[in-house]
Amino acid sequence: MGTPSGAGIAARIVTLLLADARLPTGAHAFSSSLEPALLDGLRPGEIPAYIRSRLLTVGTVEAAAALVVARDPDAGTVAEVSTALEARTPAESQRAASTLLGRGLIRLARSLAPAAAQLGPGVAGRSPHRAVAMGLIASVWGIPEAELVTAMCYDDAQTVAAAALKLEPGDPFAATGWVLGIAGTVDAVLAEALPVTGPASIPAPSSPMIDQWAQAHAARDRRLFSA
Amino acid sequence: MPENTVPATSTPAATSTSAAPAAEAVPHRSLRLGVAGPVGTGKSSLIATICRSLADRLRIGVITNDIYTDEDARFLRSAGVLDPDRIRAVETGACPHTAIRDDVTTNLLAVEDLEADFSPLDLVLVESGGDNLTATFSPALVDAQIFVLDVAGGGDVARKGGPGIGRADLLVVNKIDIAPYVEVDVDRMVADAVAARGGAPVLALSKNVQPTVAALREWVLALMERHSSGVHTPVDPGPMAPHFHADGEGGGYVHSHGEDETHGRDGAHRENGSHRKDEAQGRDEAHRREGARGQDETPEGPAH
Repeated sequence: MGTPSGAGIAARIVTLLLADARLPTGAHAFSSSLEPALLDGLRPGEIPAYIRSRLLTVGTVEAAAALVVARDPDAGTVAEVSTALEARTPAESQRAASTLLGRGLIRLARSLAPAAAQLGPGVAGRSPHRAVAMGLIASVWGIPEAELVTAMCYDDAQTVAAAALKLEPGDPFAATGWVLGIAGTVDAVLAEALPVTGPASIPAPSSPMIDQWAQAHAARDRRLFSA
Repeated sequence: MPENTVPATSTPAATSTSAAPAAEAVPHRSLRLGVAGPVGTGKSSLIATICRSLADRLRIGVITNDIYTDEDARFLRSAGVLDPDRIRAVETGACPHTAIRDDVTTNLLAVEDLEADFSPLDLVLVESGGDNLTATFSPALVDAQIFVLDVAGGGDVARKGGPGIGRADLLVVNKIDIAPYVEVDVDRMVADAVAARGGAPVLALSKNVQPTVAALREWVLALMERHSSGVHTPVDPGPMAPHFHADGEGGGYVHSHGEDETHGRDGAHRENGSHRKDEAQGRDEAHRREGARGQDETPEGPAH
């Protein structure tokens, strides 16, 4: 494709912002459940596999949900996708983390033109799920679908990698390698997410260990990360 | 994909639901007061003291920021100084600095939820995760901040300065009752602090020394008064961020300075150094001027 300009560049910048841990949305207190996984015995050597597992389950659900919202960003779709997401997120703690992060995202987006006018409470509510917020933001700035999914996968992988460096002794260069290593997995996520046609066809993989870890973590009183 | 897939936004009904609740859905905006300082200097205890000594005057809520536990929230709940439901813990994910400065989202949401759940609150105290000398609050989160040192941390710490020591709204030198046991000269430490702060307020405090507690109470009440009458201007010990001005009638507005073109550039604000506190005396006057002109700031407002 040609070199983007104007709106295309804005869309690229927004995509980069969404993938940037410095984005002020409150996400820095999260480990994508890596902390409880390690506490339950996940070995540090298994972290790259953990990253892949998350992308192929939680990550795929979120990517597909975001795409459905991005294609049809109205209140009705948001409501249906939210219900679909909740049905696919059995751990209450994960639903809570998702709406907290979504609330931070949508609040930030609403402070920025042109989203302020398009993302009112009538469309997005007060605390949308994170994937819903990502989809709405993508629609406002016209982020291409594959770029949105890649950014979401990158963010999840980088969240795990960054948390790993705070939770286990490790080489930051190696953690960077884990993130670069997700390319093939992102292909698989795209293959699942892009063909989704509506809320009902959002995939529903299960990840019982992640669900259990997330629930256990919510009840833990000494933890570095919120979830 | 077409750019404007968003429907010509809200239907009239949706618009009215988003606009109408203004009266009932916007809770009273409290004075938000941050408490920062190194680990172990007595931040939680200071908050308990404020709650205890002002319970008769103010409706108070507390947000704690803990790095690894919710220990501070538990301590405050068990201190019995406040309804336990009015004390909430925010987790900072190993980044206590970030949570009060670079990304205040989680704290801001917690403050707003507390204000909504217990409206009207007069004062919300936000305790930072104890860290080192460099952590300070963004005015995007708090309207004013107290920085806490203690004598046990060493008599020379105040002299070392730093953003919190130098430019917080109030510097507290805590635990003065134990100074003889740690061989610190309180008067000297306070004098060092006053010098480091260009004359801005320093309070030598012990929860066990009643007159010092009374002085803390008076400082908070005076701050409340300046805030609610609209003459208090948030100070950022670091770079300036958007902040809130009360209008004296229970409402107020948020504005920012600098390069944001949607707000007026306020020359008085930036250039008289009033945010920097290096001139303790000129400060109140500057605030009054700003309060008066802030009301009619427009995008076309005066440039520098």
